[in-house]
Amino acid sequence: MDYQTALSFALPIAVSIAAIGSGLGLGRAVGSAMEAMGRQPEAAGKIQTGMIIGAAFIEALTIYALVGLLLLMGKIG
Amino acid sequence: MRIEANFVSRTLRTTGLVALLSLAFGSFYYGFKPTLSVFTGIVWGMINLYFLSLLVRSSLRPEGADKASALIFLFIKFPLLYLSGYFLMTNDYFDPLLLVIGFTVSLLIIVLKAAGRALLKLDYFEENDKKESLRSA
Repeated sequence: MDYQTALSFALPIAVSIAAIGSGLGLGRAVGSAMEAMGRQPEAAGKIQTGMIIGAAFIEALTIYALVGLLLLMGKIG
Repeated sequence: MRIEANFVSRTLRTTGLVALLSLAFGSFYYGFKPTLSVFTGIVWGMINLYFLSLLVRSSLRPEGADKASALIFLFIKFPLLYLSGYFLMTNDYFDPLLLVIGFTVSLLIIVLKAAGRALLKLDYFEENDKKESLRSA
């Protein structure tokens, strides 16, 4: 198997793993934030801010994976 | 670390300032084209963070979601921003690596702001000030 074939197998798998990981992380973050807001509605603003920052970091990882895919896609075929 | 409600807007302001400074100095030292790639990445990251904060604040709140604005922000953030990101990445004019570096700047500023607060012990001093004012009152 040449490296182009390996790349064409590996790229979708890698992006899928990144998407699944960030989806799980985001789901956990939102779930915990909703739970915390339910317990302390007066602290909702601070909880939302923390969640936004966490979500931005998690989302960035998926975007990096997507950029990696776009950069390496040019090397296939 | 305590995160205030206006942390995101302060981060966006600082990122905008960094973007303008990098555009001015970068175009002088590295040329206009690579600097424009970094600048576009920074602006894309800022818009992404801004709409993410709007989406979270309109959809996840104790009094229930504001469905109309949440739908608008959802429509802007995911399809439009990702589509524009895809076109930026696949465009030959912009270097994808420099775009990603620009996109990371807003995240780097968040980390630096948090690290600065932790290193300068600002939260500790604010907490002590609050205790002092409570004691004197």
